Amino acid sequence: MDASLIAENLSKSFSTLKVLDRWNLKIEKSERIVLLGPSGAGKTSFLKMLSGIDSPSSGSLEVFADKIGFVFQEPRLIPWRTVRENLLFVNEDGKIDAVLEKLRLKGFADYYPGQLSGGMQQRVNLARALLLEPDLLILDEAFSSLDLPVKKSIMEDMLMQWQVKRFTILAVTHDLKEALYMADRIIILSSRPSRIVREFTVDLDSCRTFSSPELLALESQLLDIVFQDDAYGISHLSG
Amino acid sequence: MKTLSRSLTGILIFILIWQIVALLLNKPIIVPSPTETLKTLWRLLADPVIMAAAFQTAWKVFLALGLVLVLGIPAGLLLGLMEGLYDMSRPVIMLIQAVPVISWLSLVLFTWGPSWEGPVLIAFLSLLPMAILTTVSGVRNLDQNLLEMARVYEVDKKKIIKDIYLGSLLPFIIAIIDVSIGHAWKVILVAEYLAGNSGLGRKIYDARYFVAVADMWALTLIAVILGLLTERLIKIGLRRASKKWMPA
Repeated sequence: MDASLIAENLSKSFSTLKVLDRWNLKIEKSERIVLLGPSGAGKTSFLKMLSGIDSPSSGSLEVFADKIGFVFQEPRLIPWRTVRENLLFVNEDGKIDAVLEKLRLKGFADYYPGQLSGGMQQRVNLARALLLEPDLLILDEAFSSLDLPVKKSIMEDMLMQWQVKRFTILAVTHDLKEALYMADRIIILSSRPSRIVREFTVDLDSCRTFSSPELLALESQLLDIVFQDDAYGISHLSG
Repeated sequence: MKTLSRSLTGILIFILIWQIVALLLNKPIIVPSPTETLKTLWRLLADPVIMAAAFQTAWKVFLALGLVLVLGIPAGLLLGLMEGLYDMSRPVIMLIQAVPVISWLSLVLFTWGPSWEGPVLIAFLSLLPMAILTTVSGVRNLDQNLLEMARVYEVDKKKIIKDIYLGSLLPFIIAIIDVSIGHAWKVILVAEYLAGNSGLGRKIYDARYFVAVADMWALTLIAVILGLLTERLIKIGLRRASKKWMPA
């Protein structure tokens, strides 16, 4: 299998503050990876390095993707541009109507972001990323602000696209259930300076349901691991 | 409707107070009565020479405002983007802002004598610093998340300036027009009065010269009504244009 991303001894510091500490990670093409870790563990810094807007302090990071789609935590839509214009902003040649239809946004192309709900705006955020037909789709806590039904529905649509296009997914989240729902592999991070403390393979069918007993069982298993490894630095905080 | 009737009541009370003051003072050379002024106003409104003067003042206002927008906004955009250039230009901008209108008046009189260029230049110079500094603060308040999004998607620089920068600056441009329009009317009238050769300001000067006090007051009323009307119309137009996406 071809790699989509290889990180070797990757570290990142901001002046004296070290956020990433010697990460070694290889992600295969079409894999769905979730980075799970506490706030401040440098997940977003890692994603910024991936998308080329920041660079490592030491070590190496190689990305084998021509096109990278990025779904931000906030929709980051241009308020004075319609949905169609927001999509045209990143890709003038994209099949806008097809993407909007797939993400249940048909009929909203001429709406302004302010006229859409938070969930709809996040769908446009995802549509913008998918419009590029990315080899690598990055999700930075993309669903964290959404309520469960909306979150589930958008994730379903995204995974449906993954089934067809088989792009690599790299997502960041705090939410264990969300991680289990979309990942083939979960990378568990420690608190800052973050290290990769464990990898967890999600042994489930690619078609999953949020409340399946298998997923719930894995959630409790994952929860045990997170506490056992003290990935979130809980023991440190309590005392 | 309620606001309108209250405003009309306010105006009626004002006219009533004016009438009482005119009666008590009984010096039409200082305060002519509202009846006399309104009669003169009616006469002047039908006078093509006065209407031409009003038009001359109005186009000077729009020319000065247009120049301020066309030159001030790109200059502000540039200075907002280039901190070094901003630091270099700031003292000059502050200097232009601090120069009293009366000094500009003397300068344009020496340069052109009484002319139409003088009032336009004075209004332009007195509004330009505000337009530049407002645009700079607009650039500095830009949503960094949008810029980061554009960088992640490797969007062309020209497109970023057109779609993000100019869009973000629209509320600031509206603010510039909001503040400038009323100010431009006043400055142009003063400059026409002291250094102009046409327009309502010049007509007020002539009325003063011939001690036609009622004409002076009526011309002032015309200037006030025109100023308020254009200000109102421009504001309504701008609000309508930006209503769809501007936060309520």
